[in-house]
Amino acid sequence: MISLARLNSNTFMSNWRWIRLLAVIAVGSLIVSCKKEQVEPYKKWGFSKPDYFPEPVYNFDNNKQTFQKFTLGRELFYDPFLSSDGTVSCASCHANSHAFAGHNTALSPGVNNLLGTRNSPSIANMAWSPSFMWDGGINHIEVMPIAPLTNPVEMNETLANIIAKLQQSEKYKKLFKEAYGTEDVTDQRVLKALTQYMMMIVSNNSKYDQVKHGEATFTDAEQQGYELFQQKCSQCHTEPLFTDYSFRNNGLDQSFSDGGRFLITQNENDKGKFKVPSLRNVALTYPYMHDGRYYTLNDVLNHYATGVQHSSTLDPLLENGIPLPGNEKTLLIAFLNTLSDYHLMTDFWLAEPKH
Amino acid sequence: MKNTFKLGFIALALSAIAACKKDKIEPTDSATLGTDNVVLKIEHTWQDSLEFQLNTDLVNPLTGDSLNFTTFKYYISNIRLKKADGSWWTQPNSYFLLDLSAQGTTPSMQLTGVPYGEYTEVEYVLGVDSTRNVSGAQDGALSPSLGMFWSWNSGYIMLKAEGISPNASMGGSFAFHLGGFSGVNNVVTKKSHTFVGNSLSVSGNGHCQIHLEAAPQTLWQTVGSVSGNSMIHMPGSGAKTMSDDFFGSFEFEHIHE
Ligand code: HEC
Ligand code: HEC
Repeated sequence: MISLARLNSNTFMSNWRWIRLLAVIAVGSLIVSCKKEQVEPYKKWGFSKPDYFPEPVYNFDNNKQTFQKFTLGRELFYDPFLSSDGTVSCASCHANSHAFAGHNTALSPGVNNLLGTRNSPSIANMAWSPSFMWDGGINHIEVMPIAPLTNPVEMNETLANIIAKLQQSEKYKKLFKEAYGTEDVTDQRVLKALTQYMMMIVSNNSKYDQVKHGEATFTDAEQQGYELFQQKCSQCHTEPLFTDYSFRNNGLDQSFSDGGRFLITQNENDKGKFKVPSLRNVALTYPYMHDGRYYTLNDVLNHYATGVQHSSTLDPLLENGIPLPGNEKTLLIAFLNTLSDYHLMTDFWLAEPKH
Repeated sequence: MKNTFKLGFIALALSAIAACKKDKIEPTDSATLGTDNVVLKIEHTWQDSLEFQLNTDLVNPLTGDSLNFTTFKYYISNIRLKKADGSWWTQPNSYFLLDLSAQGTTPSMQLTGVPYGEYTEVEYVLGVDSTRNVSGAQDGALSPSLGMFWSWNSGYIMLKAEGISPNASMGGSFAFHLGGFSGVNNVVTKKSHTFVGNSLSVSGNGHCQIHLEAAPQTLWQTVGSVSGNSMIHMPGSGAKTMSDDFFGSFEFEHIHE
């Protein structure tokens, strides 16, 4: 109850809705707490680096973390009002129920059901990512939202319109005032608030993490799968974030309809290279690859075992594919399943705000 | 207590007298004396002598193209002024988006709080320094809502020149979005101009101006006619060549006080 009491006294005062909600929770948890401590959010609010994670790339030096900015960011993230026709929000393609990836479709529909060309990735652990998008074209998380907000096949809005719409909203006037001291809406404020919300999407409570903390143990199959993973996959999908953030061609195609990293660097040697995706929550975020071509982990493993296509930019590590004889696929999948973080999907702070 | 007050008073009075005296003897020597605004203006010319105009058919003497500009904007940043003693005054948070369709073809930049003194040189950056290209959401002149930031390939569009031309390869219109802040195709350029032996004395009259001149037609000096290429929308060698040529055309014109 300590964290709730603290928040109650200094950050929520001006927000009646929250106070009401908290009061309900507080009373609820008082009743329940005699038996079980379940109602309280499983972790305290605030960004903190899990001890075995590297230092995050994002620091809050120019965007001091406050609960009010986070709250504003969460409202914006879930609000379809930001899109040109009021139908699509960030959460439409990055749903908490899907570990912040798309709704298990290869491509995610934007306004007017238009489709882009790439699969919506999970946006957990963005605080550690040095670049964004499958091709790494975006260099800072704060400017990341500009792309979906303005992309004609995603939210199809201009920043100027978004500012104008928010400025007319009583709800947002209040939220901006609480977050920044004045009602002024600027794109910088919108972007920094969205960032505050996104930085809190930290996935570090899967079985894998619990094993790291000595709170759980792998089954034999999971343990063997883990060892195989370390031998065969971790050069690229490096622990604990399960990516080294490099751009590589893992042999999906011989010629490339999507140039990937090449589109950003214009370097021929980057053709067909994409950012190594994190495998956290991978069992939940099918379909797979930049274009969502594979629907099951088994398909992915078959690709690595027997389907690797040769081209001049194929990663040297995959020259002979990754042989996975006997029951190795089953074991690897057993391990990959331990990367699912069910707490993340029900996280109290990250869920859609209830009004 | 009383004594400290008295002492303080005397000190104040003395320094006031000293300041006045000094003022008379050496009116422009010390930065502590005061500050004034200086205006930096850039005149855009066409064919060396004519005034550059938007929404007007202009013939580029370098390529023969007929060009009618609807948009011409670019960034200037990090303005500094050099004092006669060799030290520099640097404008804090110095970012300007010159938008010729809104500000006319001789846009001005206000340099506020320039300390009194003699100045002999101006330095500035054409484009936005690399730091601000990689530091997340900015505001003011650098706000991404101004349409000068690439959303899918992060970085500022340092210069936008758009319009219509019967010569254009792309359906009668042209759009050059030039940018790039790193590697071989970095277009961000630092320039400086001495006031050719003169000095600008900033002493509080409120009329100090520095005039530069730039020639938009030079964008096509090396790359040639828009019939070859009428669109650039990302960093690359084309953007580099065009901006180098245009940025090379900036010249010192005159100062006045
Ligand atoms: C219509 C679906 C859609 C919407 C709406 C959407 N996104 Fe995305 N998002 C994607 C896709 C697809 C990608 C990958 C794009 C690419 O690589 O070209 C992506 C990528 C991202 C990434 C980078 C992930 C990484 O690992 O590099 C972040 C962060 C992100 N989106 C945040 C947001 C935010 C914030 C919003 C709301 C302002 C939003 N998205 C709205 C589909 C969407
Ligand atoms: C040479 C580096 C490399 C190695 C080794 C590697 N991968 Fe990958 N992996 C990638 C890249 C790059 C992608 C993204 C490719 C794309 O979408 O174009 C990827 C994508 C994936 C995906 C899809 C994830 C998603 O969210 O779409 C899965 C699952 C995956 N790899 C599992 C594995 C497993 C399991 C192994 C070991 C058997 C492995 N990878 C070995 C580089 C590698």
